[in-house]
Amino acid sequence: MSNELIDFFIVSIALLGIGIYGLAVKRNAIRMLFAIEIIINAANLNLVAFARFLSHSGGQTLALFSIAIAAAEVAVGLALIIVAYRMYKNVDIAEFRSLKG
Amino acid sequence: MIELTSTPMIIVAILGTIGVLIPVISVARKEHGSSSFYGAIALGALFASIGYVIYQIAANNIAPAAIFTEDVLADDTFGSLFAIAMLIVAIFTTVGSFNYMRKKSHPAVYFSLILLSTIGMVLIAYSTDLVMLFVAWELMSIPTYVLAGFMKKDPSSNEAALKYFLFGALSSAIIIYGISIAYGLTGSTNIGDVIQTFATIDSEMLPLALLAIAMFVAGFGFKMGLVPFHMWLPDTYEGAPPTISALLAAGTKKAGFAAALRVIVMGSIALSLDWTFALGVIAVMTMTVGNIAAIMQKNLARVLAYSSIGHAGYILIGLAIAPYTAIGIQGSLFHILNHAVMKGAAFIAVAGIVTTLASSHLDKIKGLGRSMPITSLGLVISLLALAGVPPLNGFWSKLILFGAALDAGAVAPWTPWLAIAGVLNSALSLAYYGWIIRKMYFEGETEKRVREPASVVAVMIFSIIFIVGIGVYPDPIIQFVETAVPSLAVTP
Repeated sequence: MSNELIDFFIVSIALLGIGIYGLAVKRNAIRMLFAIEIIINAANLNLVAFARFLSHSGGQTLALFSIAIAAAEVAVGLALIIVAYRMYKNVDIAEFRSLKG
Repeated sequence: MIELTSTPMIIVAILGTIGVLIPVISVARKEHGSSSFYGAIALGALFASIGYVIYQIAANNIAPAAIFTEDVLADDTFGSLFAIAMLIVAIFTTVGSFNYMRKKSHPAVYFSLILLSTIGMVLIAYSTDLVMLFVAWELMSIPTYVLAGFMKKDPSSNEAALKYFLFGALSSAIIIYGISIAYGLTGSTNIGDVIQTFATIDSEMLPLALLAIAMFVAGFGFKMGLVPFHMWLPDTYEGAPPTISALLAAGTKKAGFAAALRVIVMGSIALSLDWTFALGVIAVMTMTVGNIAAIMQKNLARVLAYSSIGHAGYILIGLAIAPYTAIGIQGSLFHILNHAVMKGAAFIAVAGIVTTLASSHLDKIKGLGRSMPITSLGLVISLLALAGVPPLNGFWSKLILFGAALDAGAVAPWTPWLAIAGVLNSALSLAYYGWIIRKMYFEGETEKRVREPASVVAVMIFSIIFIVGIGVYPDPIIQFVETAVPSLAVTP
């Protein structure tokens, strides 16, 4: 098995594609949140792989920051989704139509 | 190392301490419900911060505008200009919330989150490192997701927050992906190093560098409300509490432009590409879509939301013509400062209207000029300034922007079209602002004067003085803005 930088990059681009597909197609708020998480993790994979091949620790530091921030973001996002679920009994964002113009 | 007495560090210390202390005080105090108390503490912290920024500028303790530093933060005039704009917006939001938050739950958390978000906005403007930029970006964004959904019993606030959260989280995911590619190509996260390496990049690696810049445009574009990325914006600004819409439209949007100026403009210059034309096309699309959609709206907050999309287009003109003339960036910075005050004042006026009338529908504001004269006057002045009517500040910044676009025509023949599109759009915007003004003053029965919220009146009086004052005598601000324009020369 080869262990080249390009392998990691291909996986990362594939994850990015899966994330964007999920956001474009799904209308369930939790699925969309997961798709965003997949994109963030694709970026983290990139950062760690580049840091490994550049022999430079900055990327791993940024990946740690990014993981912590993503956790904070998910906490806020899930809280918002729970409040929405209590109100609409649903987490489908296509059903939220109180605002339009 | 950045010094501990430099402006960004002091602002973080003041706002961070007070922002964390306010909820602690609210837990320690047994009684609840006095929103003005927490608001006053937050306001004190904001005034101390803006005082320190202005003191540092007056005492000449800050560096000239710089893009390249070794540090993660640059204590420069560019950052200070944005810091002043954002602190003014935060002060507007805090003062405007005194009446809006009365008899609403959890005032301590509300004011604390405003302070924390303000730290993020200020740090974005000062940061010269992609790690710092990303952390500051999230520090700005996450509190505003909560603030947009703060009225959790209100379905529209809830929906606004959820839409804002999904697009905001997507924008930060795209930004971190762009940062990862830029880091992989250059081996550094310092913006200066990244750009200098981009300037001498291999032609094989050029597509990846382009992908990184495109991801920055998309990621920052979501917050700035540029046109292919604007769909969440009207819903969020309409549904969120109007005081928070002021913070979003006037504050977080400007932070997006600060980041864009630091990263996108420099990156596209370093890649020596014809990116400027793409930015110009986005600028024209943004202003046209924003202004045309604004005509058809029935809600005052929604009209202002679309008009803020239009203004993102005007500001983007300066970024698009940045490589050809330095006056473009100057006009952008001046318009950013003006727009922060004008749009902040307009949304706070909406907050006052919502507090008294419980709605900002355009049918409800008939005869408002007689029932709420000071709020109406403030709203009219800020609307006229947004349209760019001559004796007001919006006129001068638009004049500089469009004049720079005409000047740049000597180098790039397509830029005068940006000025033409801008002038046409300003005329169009005057039409719907005039429609609102007509409803307020010339329609409806003569109503009795109602008591206007005192805090909104205070914001209105300050903004009228600012808008008219800068409009009559713009020279000192223009000179200050000139010093804030960073040098665009890239030395490979």
